[in-house]
Amino acid sequence: MSAPAVDLNRPSIPLGRLVAVEARKVFDTRASRWFSLSILGLVLLVMVLQAFVFVDGLQDLDMFLAFSGNILGYFLPIVLIMLVTSEWGQRTALVTFTLEPRRGRVVAAKLIAGLLLSFAAFALAFLISLLGTFLASSVRGLDVSWSLEGDVIRNFLISNTIAVLVGFALAMLLGNTAAAIVGYFVYTFIVPIVINLLGSFVDWFGDIVPWIEFSSAQTPLVTGDGSLSGEEWAHLATSGTIWLVIPLVVGILRLLRREVK
Amino acid sequence: MIAVEHLSKTYGSYQALNDVSFVCRPGTVTGFLGPNGAGKSTAMRIMTGLTPASSGVATIGGVAYRDIPNPSSQVGVLLDASAQHGGRTGREVLTIAAKTMGLPKSRVDEMLALVGLTPSEAKRRVRNYSLGMRQRLGLAQTLLGDPSVLILDEPANGLDPAGIHWMRSLLRSFAEKGGTVLLSSHLLHEIEVIADEIIVIGHGRIVAQGTKDELLKGSGTFVRALDPSALVNALVSAGIESHVSGAGLATDATAEQVGRAAAAAGVVLLELRAAESANLEEMFLQLTSDTQRDALATEGARA
Ligand SMILES: Nc1ncnc2c1ncn2[C@@H]1O[C@H](COP(=O)(O)OP(=O)(O)OP(=O)(O)O)[C@@H](O)[C@H]1O
Ligand SMILES: [Mg+2]
Repeated sequence: MSAPAVDLNRPSIPLGRLVAVEARKVFDTRASRWFSLSILGLVLLVMVLQAFVFVDGLQDLDMFLAFSGNILGYFLPIVLIMLVTSEWGQRTALVTFTLEPRRGRVVAAKLIAGLLLSFAAFALAFLISLLGTFLASSVRGLDVSWSLEGDVIRNFLISNTIAVLVGFALAMLLGNTAAAIVGYFVYTFIVPIVINLLGSFVDWFGDIVPWIEFSSAQTPLVTGDGSLSGEEWAHLATSGTIWLVIPLVVGILRLLRREVK
Repeated sequence: MIAVEHLSKTYGSYQALNDVSFVCRPGTVTGFLGPNGAGKSTAMRIMTGLTPASSGVATIGGVAYRDIPNPSSQVGVLLDASAQHGGRTGREVLTIAAKTMGLPKSRVDEMLALVGLTPSEAKRRVRNYSLGMRQRLGLAQTLLGDPSVLILDEPANGLDPAGIHWMRSLLRSFAEKGGTVLLSSHLLHEIEVIADEIIVIGHGRIVAQGTKDELLKGSGTFVRALDPSALVNALVSAGIESHVSGAGLATDATAEQVGRAAAAAGVVLLELRAAESANLEEMFLQLTSDTQRDALATEGARA
């Protein structure tokens, strides 16, 4: 019998299709839909409170952007974390890597899908901030500022993008939803406090804090005119290597070798 | 065509697969038979690139699974039907697979109909599926891309009699159209009914392989005595291995060896003859008796 051999000339799965599928996974269960929508709901809720309840003076456009950016910074990384870790928790990795055995492409698709969704969320947060400013001025009758310096937007984008990247990297490293979420909050809340506290008691440690603490290394990015000195770039590079590059590289290397069952 | 060559897999010091080689040809159904923990699933995971082999290679159509472009559209793989996201609906599970493979949405409905999942069942979340429904969903996913090769780990698991019958005819017609099928099972009669070629594995080693007819040819001797335990003792002291077979014992020794052993011990024989075509179940127990975990316990209890 002439064997219907495997056809090696078929096109392989385009990356764009993998990205679309990964983006779909963020919304295709009741729990994941609910979680994504409630992040948006929270941004809306805080906007309404800020417009109508918060003391006068917090209703400028850049203040709305700062508040919504904070909320996204806490919760968007969890969306990316779950995109990675639910494959292991729900054991769907078995199917995912059977459909596309080149695991690196699946990781790339997840990262791209996560970033695209994050940018969509940033855009929504921006619209919600515009709406808040409008409501505060028209309905509440406050005197608001609509001015937005270029670096406010840039800083918003940079710090939130770094936040989702760190979430993704920790998820790749830890492979477990709870561990990665805890890891992310340790990274955002506890590590800066502990490291800075240590730094204030131990002299030599104080000198190396800027080199290993990623949050404070990002501060020059989001304050002042946003231009960094050589040393500040170096801080960003070393602390970013520790918190972003190493977890991501170790996580990917492990995934490429790991047994999927 | 699936080709497995000198495949070995060790987990720490445990050898899960030991120099396993076999081929599955187009147009045939190959049954992969072995007791629990024999290494069937491990071998299938290696074939599909999910588990790295310690040594040896597995190819499908001449290349490693991971080098097949859009592999699921050419090789249908079902390793574990319960490895699905419990929160997704059955339809969503298939939609994700179809979208990844680049298939139209209509294909999802076709497969749901093929495996007998109703539209209302397809809307249910997989968490609430019965074992058999999950298995049907898994088979639907496997067949989505109209593959030419199927690799199925215990596909009959959880299916009702009608489902098993349906699957048998599906695999039969798949092979008749020139497809290659490898399916594993420890349900012996399942393999006996479906497979053309049989590979028997025990403790990571292939203990027998060939066509069903070859393997069904009996060998050795069947013996039955008035006092079965006296017969067992007689055979043991003569150094003849045996195992329980129906009302008597089956052994690899010749009739003369068994007769002499019985005569020497003064055991009265009721039957002594060449074993006729043993059914596959006997063969399976026979071939894996030294590796199968229950063998000693069973023999001890009956002797
Ligand atoms: N990651 C692992 N670490 C250690 N041992 C493992 C690992 N994975 C599998 N094994 C062992 O390898 C052996 C083969 O397991 P496998 O799942 O392939 O058996 P099987 O033939 O599919 O059995 P069953 O019929 O029960 O499904 C078992 O003894 C199992 O415990
Ligand atoms: Mg198994």
